[in-house]
Amino acid sequence: MNESLHDAIDRLLREDAGRPVRDDGFSLRLMRTLPAPRVTRPWLRPALVLFSAALGSALAWLLAPGGISVAQGFVDLARLQSQTPSAVVALGVALAMGVTAIVLAADDS
Amino acid sequence: MVERPEPADSELVLAVVARDDREAFACLVRRHQSLVRSTLRRLAKGDHGLADDLAQETFLLAWRNLRTFRFDARFSTWLYRIAFNAWLTDARKRREVLLDDLEKAPVADEALPAVSTAERMDLERALATLSDGERAAIAACYYADLTHEEAAVAMGIPLGTVKTHILRAKAKLRAKLDEDYR
Repeated sequence: MNESLHDAIDRLLREDAGRPVRDDGFSLRLMRTLPAPRVTRPWLRPALVLFSAALGSALAWLLAPGGISVAQGFVDLARLQSQTPSAVVALGVALAMGVTAIVLAADDS
Repeated sequence: MVERPEPADSELVLAVVARDDREAFACLVRRHQSLVRSTLRRLAKGDHGLADDLAQETFLLAWRNLRTFRFDARFSTWLYRIAFNAWLTDARKRREVLLDDLEKAPVADEALPAVSTAERMDLERALATLSDGERAAIAACYYADLTHEEAAVAMGIPLGTVKTHILRAKAKLRAKLDEDYR
């Protein structure tokens, strides 16, 4: 062992390290100890967001003073008349839809 | 028929993170169990039972923290860091045990092709006489196959200290084995 102890030690270490450890069921046992799979409901969050937005829009529609039309609001906005009550309601609906879209997009990414 | 190449570690990690893919994680475990367990066996002074417990803890921690893997290092390096910390935590808990038992014979392993049993037993015994730091550096650079730089990062010590540990460890092993063979 004296010939070149340095080389011999290097060889011993490398050969010892190169010996594979047989699995012998280790991987299987380990996989059994993993926590149970997550119960994912990917539809739940978008559904809640959409439902809230729809409910908010419906309430706004129902509670708005008579004679207000969202469609008329968008027409007013197109004519750059943003101060009319209909235009304000239309802006509110557009805002709710925008927020919904942003939340859903963020959730997706 | 063209065989499908084995997926890279990074692909498997992504599959686990994105889809909770257990088969991908099982593939990672099968691929790295040998390296992790053999490294931990050296760190644990040949105590195979303890090494396997720590290996199990290592993979469970890896599973829980896979989202934090940044792909800027090899997966095996990241895994070694977890294994090293698991061993360190355990070693701190059982400090008294680690400081004695140097004469205790290591557990015999299955047949080995190149290194004789006598040589390996001598090596295991000699490795057990090293300090924790020296043994950890040898385990990282030989058994976990890390570069000195990767070992330094994984162990959280300066590169120079890793090199010193390796040099001292080899000098001690040299002296110990020379004494045994005289």
